[in-house]
Amino acid sequence: MTAVLRTEDLCKRFGGIVVSDSVNLTIDRGEILGLIGPNGAGKTSLFNLISGVLRPDSGSIYLNGEAIDAAALYRRARLGIARTWQNMLLFRTMTVLENLLIAPRSYPGESILRVAFARAAVREAERHARDRAMTTLARMGLEQTASEMVVDLPFGQQKLIGLARTLMNDGPVLLLDEPMAGVEGAAYETMQRVVREEAEAGRAVCVVEHNVSFIRDLCSRAVFMANGKILQDGTVAELIASSALTELYFGV
Amino acid sequence: MEYLATIGVLIAIYVILSSSYDLIIGYGGLSTVAHPIFFAIGAYTAGLLAIHSSLPAPLNVILGGMAAMVASVLLAASALRVSGDYLLIASLGFQLGLLQLIKNLDFTGGPGGLTAIPGTVTGAARTPFFLVVSGLLAVATVLGIRAIVTGPYGRAITAMRDEELAFTALGRDATSMKIVIFAIGCGIAGTAGGVYAYYFQYISPDQFEVLQSAAILTMVVLGGMGTTFGPVVGAILLLAIPRAITFLNLPPSIMAPTQGIIFTVLVLLFLFLRPAGIVGLSRKTL
Repeated sequence: MTAVLRTEDLCKRFGGIVVSDSVNLTIDRGEILGLIGPNGAGKTSLFNLISGVLRPDSGSIYLNGEAIDAAALYRRARLGIARTWQNMLLFRTMTVLENLLIAPRSYPGESILRVAFARAAVREAERHARDRAMTTLARMGLEQTASEMVVDLPFGQQKLIGLARTLMNDGPVLLLDEPMAGVEGAAYETMQRVVREEAEAGRAVCVVEHNVSFIRDLCSRAVFMANGKILQDGTVAELIASSALTELYFGV
Repeated sequence: MEYLATIGVLIAIYVILSSSYDLIIGYGGLSTVAHPIFFAIGAYTAGLLAIHSSLPAPLNVILGGMAAMVASVLLAASALRVSGDYLLIASLGFQLGLLQLIKNLDFTGGPGGLTAIPGTVTGAARTPFFLVVSGLLAVATVLGIRAIVTGPYGRAITAMRDEELAFTALGRDATSMKIVIFAIGCGIAGTAGGVYAYYFQYISPDQFEVLQSAAILTMVVLGGMGTTFGPVVGAILLLAIPRAITFLNLPPSIMAPTQGIIFTVLVLLFLFLRPAGIVGLSRKTL
């Protein structure tokens, strides 16, 4: 089986700090890959390299077998690499629904020429996007928040909105940066269920997470990173059983 | 009446300038001080075409707007490639440099400016004609900008201003969007310049100094930045109220400073009473 996403000898350093040291990573279709490691291990930097926020010093990234190294951040999103952010980066002056409507991969209403000359097509796309946004919100039980300002919601719901917004991009790759940080209760259950559903629908999912039980429940495979290096790649049970890694990570 | 109509034309032109400036800085979140020079590019292009060619006046005005738009794309595309902050510096350089060039070239009339621009419409109907044309252009500008900033396109602009990184990572090309907004705003300013040249039949470099952007910015801020009708209210107030005292028949030596004082007092007053602008709502004071 060819990996949906593959990195090849990905290297990146900032001065003396190596954030990515020959990282070779694959994520398969329908898989939820856990990415764990101590703070500063280079997990988020790896997401930044894959999504195009950062440019690697060397190495390549392949999406469905094709190199995407030349593609800018926004183009990679259009190719279907969707990601969330540790601090969510929601559009703060907008409603929940508006946040989601910014996220589909193509959107004719955001071309000034189409707005001027193809109003019917824009209206149609708008209606379609609204339907999808409401369906996505309904999956999380948040449809009643659609017209609320996103900053007025409790933190856990904001995290879910961050995920919902990313899900409007229906591409093959989903990168989740600490989706569970600060999330508890009902939102926790919802997050877990939706991530699992996305993988079952065939997406390649990668999760950076410190919540080990979340990783254990969801991931069949996990990768342990430290100092920009992948130290171990295996089942979650294997990683947890490895005393050397536990020491590095938990300091015990 | 003639005097009032001239103020009317001036107000219409400044409504166009402040609204288009608001599109760029208020809605687009882009920093620029070059609005006067794009106004000048439109004015000089239309003026020179009026003098040297036999093209119809409306076409010359449109060409003036297009010249400003092309220049703005060149400026924004090169500056925004570096970063958003760079646009402010680049716009300042462009404003000062090009105006210096206009002052020193022969065919632009140098510091003396361009005189004897053909009037196109003559006789008693002239001023009313220009009042109607500039008024219609102002209305079209305000409604056109409103159409841009509401609906899906406006939503994207807001998202870009809120959180550019997330916006880009959702597949949106923020740089192109900024260039488009900048080009539309500057193109509108250039079109206003064309009308200005035809109406006054005389343009000189000192009408397009960098300080003009401060005046236009004041209109935008006073009326309400990032609102559709704020710049309209700002332009009307700041042009009409200081000029209202000209009916008091004061000697010029008192008149000019008094107008300046009224302008300043208005600005200070509203900045204290309505910090979000006259039209700006309390939602801005989150």
